[in-house]
Amino acid sequence: MTDFLYPFIEADERDPVPLLADLARSAEGKWDQSTDLRTRTLAACDQQLRTVAAAMADRFAAGGQLFTFGNGGSATDADGVAQLFTKPPMHDSVAGLPLPARSLAADQAILTALSNDIGFDVVFSRQLIAYGRSGDIAFGTSTSGNSDNLLMAFAEAKKRGMLTVGLAGYDGGRMAASDDLEHCLVVRSDSVHRIQEAQTSVAHALWGLVQAQLRTREEVTV
Amino acid sequence: MTLADQAASPAGPTPGAITGLSEDLAAASLALARRFFAGGTMWCASPTWPFHANHVAVEFVHPVIVGKRALPAVTVPPGEDLVATLRATTRTGDVVLAVAGADDEAVASAMRRGQAWGVETIWIGAGPRPPAGAANHVLWLETSDPLEASEQVVRIYHLLWELTHVCFEHPGLLKPQETDEDCTDEVCITCSDEGRLAEVITVHGDEAVVRAAEGRERIDTSLIEVPAPGDLVLIHAGSAISSLDDPSLDDQTGAKG
Repeated sequence: MTDFLYPFIEADERDPVPLLADLARSAEGKWDQSTDLRTRTLAACDQQLRTVAAAMADRFAAGGQLFTFGNGGSATDADGVAQLFTKPPMHDSVAGLPLPARSLAADQAILTALSNDIGFDVVFSRQLIAYGRSGDIAFGTSTSGNSDNLLMAFAEAKKRGMLTVGLAGYDGGRMAASDDLEHCLVVRSDSVHRIQEAQTSVAHALWGLVQAQLRTREEVTV
Repeated sequence: MTLADQAASPAGPTPGAITGLSEDLAAASLALARRFFAGGTMWCASPTWPFHANHVAVEFVHPVIVGKRALPAVTVPPGEDLVATLRATTRTGDVVLAVAGADDEAVASAMRRGQAWGVETIWIGAGPRPPAGAANHVLWLETSDPLEASEQVVRIYHLLWELTHVCFEHPGLLKPQETDEDCTDEVCITCSDEGRLAEVITVHGDEAVVRAAEGRERIDTSLIEVPAPGDLVLIHAGSAISSLDDPSLDDQTGAKG
């Protein structure tokens, strides 16, 4: 009869109020961690983001298109980035410029065909062989920075003269060390969820900078 | 460089600003854990941002933390008739989670049917809030900036996953809950005064077959105007006692006009 001493570890725990309070506090703490990581990451990547945005704007201005890719949650991020570039929302009361972008993680027929016939490592690189041209942009997202299929895609993209941009977590993994990536933006954290959250912010900031670059150029040329 | 400056400034709410949201998240997580524990499936939909629905589903099915159990979450493919798909696939005890603005008519319509389908509803979004009671759990952000909203929506469903797994460490709280008062049909205040929500499946003269949380049943409809399949009705003691207009349609047309 020691239940009253340890009410929360027993299988007959009945009162949810203490747990709900703990959950709410935990959510608030993690929310603040996410906000903090976002702030630190955008500050640390500031110069790099501006450089990458200028390089991407060069490619878009010259008719290049953007290919995004990633696995799992990062595949959904790749879809989200492609949607942001092609169907931009209103921002600062200004309609964004729609730009050509496509997620290589979105077509299940291609993904399953390549995986079944050759292997999962080539699901992105083989698509770049089919679609990619010099002047295009390869943008791959991974939390670990170590995904084989991303590294193979970046190698293929570089070979084809594409601009290669990676978005990684932890210490950047193999993506940060690879010569095939011209730019690798790193969210320095060891929590997969917090990394993904900050990566979303980095992608959004990059999009905003590309838009600003292209708008400035239009104003100059018009 | 206004975009850059904006991007580089902290956009998250100040500490404590999510107090209300954090409590809503806690309640939604416990409810979700209870549904999973009892064998329910979570159906995820986001007609405008389908990648959010995919992200939620992969989060639960293939956890990022090794050792956490795989939970059944399914993406409802975008482009399908959301209500028709959910009507066909959901079973009593399931959960419907949507990431959508309050003005998404398909999501609003699906959420309204939650009680009739016997599913728990979770609605995640930002900007103007849906009306009170639009879903069992409304996890809402104040921001109207679409990029900020999208970033913070990711935080919400990551936290929903994290907190749901914390709940699994409390099995005593996941078992079916004993209600305070025994509900014995006619005498129960909560049931008899309000009636139960049901969705009309087929109409047969003065009768109709409806879907309610407890399953299909045949009811008398002579007290109301002849309903159509898909209509929501309140039923009590074997009869439809009133028909619910679809306010999601009326309100939307009014707001847009």
